[in-house]
Amino acid sequence: MNDTVLKIREFIIENFLFDASDDALQNDTSFLEQGIIDSTGVLELVDWLEEEFEINVEDEELIPENLDSVNILSAYILRKTGE
Amino acid sequence: MKAGNLVHSFLEQSAERFPDKVAIITQNERISYKALHSRTRKICQYLIDLKLKNGDRVAILTDQVCEYVAAYFGILEAGGIAVGLNTQTSEKALAALLSDSECAVVFTSSRFQKYYSLIKSQNSVRRVETDIRSIWEMSGEVPSTEPVHKVSLEDIAQIIYTSGTTGKPKGVMLRHSNLVANTESIVEDLGLVDTDRVMMVLPFFYSYGNSILLSHIAVGGSLVVNQNFTYPNVILDQMVKEGVTGFSGVPSTYALLVNRSAVKNYVFPNLRYLTQAGAAMTPTLAKELSEIFPSVRIFIMYGQTEAAPRLSSLNPDKLYEKTGSIGKAIPGVILEVCRPDGTPAAVGEVGEIVASGKNIMAGYWRNPEETKRVLKNGKLWTGDLARVDKDGYLFIEGRKSALIKSGSHRIAPKEIENVISEISCIHEVAVVGQQDKILGEKIVAYVVVKPDHTAVGKEIIRHCRLHLPSYKVPHKIIMIDELPKTTTGKIQTALLKNS
Repeated sequence: MNDTVLKIREFIIENFLFDASDDALQNDTSFLEQGIIDSTGVLELVDWLEEEFEINVEDEELIPENLDSVNILSAYILRKTGE
Repeated sequence: MKAGNLVHSFLEQSAERFPDKVAIITQNERISYKALHSRTRKICQYLIDLKLKNGDRVAILTDQVCEYVAAYFGILEAGGIAVGLNTQTSEKALAALLSDSECAVVFTSSRFQKYYSLIKSQNSVRRVETDIRSIWEMSGEVPSTEPVHKVSLEDIAQIIYTSGTTGKPKGVMLRHSNLVANTESIVEDLGLVDTDRVMMVLPFFYSYGNSILLSHIAVGGSLVVNQNFTYPNVILDQMVKEGVTGFSGVPSTYALLVNRSAVKNYVFPNLRYLTQAGAAMTPTLAKELSEIFPSVRIFIMYGQTEAAPRLSSLNPDKLYEKTGSIGKAIPGVILEVCRPDGTPAAVGEVGEIVASGKNIMAGYWRNPEETKRVLKNGKLWTGDLARVDKDGYLFIEGRKSALIKSGSHRIAPKEIENVISEISCIHEVAVVGQQDKILGEKIVAYVVVKPDHTAVGKEIIRHCRLHLPSYKVPHKIIMIDELPKTTTGKIQTALLKNS
C-alpha cells in the first residue's frame, strides 16, 4: 500500500470506524453503501483532504466518483496533486 | 379529497384516479399507484392472516423505500398502528423503543441483521419479517374483499417517537383524523396538485418526511426518493433528470446545498416550490437561495411531531419583508402566544406558542403525565418561545427545554451525558448545542475527569459510538477543570453554549 492509501485508511478508521480493526475496511468498500460516511462526514473528509494534501476540493468534485472508497480517493488525490 | 378520509384512503383514492401514474421513483424502481396499492393490500392481508388486532403496533425498521411505504399503508389498512423507527439506531435505543411500543410485528431488512436477535427477544414480538418484498412477490392475487377490520377516524394511526428532555423517548400518538387534517391543510397551503413531483431526501420515519409522503400521495403526485444526502450533487442530478417541481429540507439541507454543492451550475426548469421546516431561515441563506432559485416559491414552515406535524408557514412573498419569521398558522390551525397563565402575550412580548386544531395529537403513548404537561384543554403547549409582530407574524425566540437541534434531529443532552458518565474516570459532564453553519447546532461535551485520572476525547467518542446512534455522538469533546456553576450549584449551560 502506498503512503496516500495508508493515510486515508488511518483517517477513515480513526474518524468514522472507531470500533473497527484495520482489516475491517477494504480499499474498495463504498463509504456510501456501507453507511461509513454521512453528509457531515463528507465535509470533515473534505476539510482533511484540503489540509493534508494542500489541494482545493471544488464543489463540483463532491461526487462518489471522486470520494467514495479508499482507492477512489487515492486516485483523486493523485490527479489533484499531479495537476 | 373526500370527507371522512382515513390516512390510507389517500392512497386508495389516488390509485383509483391515477392507476398508471408513477407514485414512487427511486434510483432502481418506478412504482405506479396501482402497483403500490396492490402491494399495500397484500401486506394488509398478511397482517390479517397473522391475526393482527385493531390497535396492535407494527414497527418498520428499514431504509428500503418501496418496502417502507407499502408496509406503512398496509399496516394502517389492517387497523394497526404504524411505528416507523429511526434507522440510525443502537441496540440500547432500539430495545427501549420496542419495549415501550410493545410491537406485535416488526418489518425490517437485511441491513439491520445485527439487531434480529434483539428484536426477536422482545416479549411482545410475534413475527419478524425480514423480507418485506417477498410478501407481495410470493402471494398471488390481490385480495378483492375489503379488510375485515373497521378503522375509524379517531383510531390511532401512528406513533412517532421524539426525544424527551430526560433522554427517555416519547411516543407521539397521532389519530387518522390528526394526520388527515394536517395533510389537507398542507395541500391547501402549498397549492399541491397531481402534477407535482417532489424530491424527497428526508426519511419517512420523521414527522416532516411522513407529511411530505402523505401530502403528495393525497394529491396523486409523485415522490422521487433518495434519502441519502451524503453527496448533494447526486441529488441535484436526479432533480434535473426527473423534472421535480418541489424540494423539501431542513436548515442543514439548504446550508449544504448552498455551501457544499454545485447547485449554482444547475437549472431546474420545472421547480416551483421549496419548503423548509425545523427552524426559521437566516437572512443570508434566504437571500442566497432566492438568487439560486429566482422564480421558485420558498416556504418556511414550523411544526412539531405532536401537531402531525405542521403548524405555520411563511408566505413566500413575505420572505424578505418578514425574514426570520415562521409565518402564520396554516389553514385549520390556531396559534397563540401565551404567558404562563394562559393569557395572550402582547405584541412583541415573548411567550409560549400554544396550538389548537384537528391536527393536535391524542397524547403520548402510555405517558399520561407528559401528556398532561403539554396538552391543556385540547391545546398543545409547544415549549417553543416566540413573539408576534404587529402584523401577526411569529418569530421563534428560543425553547423552554434544553433540546439540541442538530441537522434534522432533536437531541436530549441528558441522554448523551448519561452515556459519557458511564466511563469510570468521568467526574462531571455537560452537553450543549453550539451554533454551527451547516447543522444549526453541533453537539459539544464539556468533560471534567476525576482527580488523578486522565481521559482523552477519542476514548469518550469511541464509547459514545458504541452506545449511541451516530447522530447523537458529540462533534467535539472539551476537557475542562470544572464546570461553571451558579451559587446554588446549577451548571450554567448558557455560558458553555456561548463559549
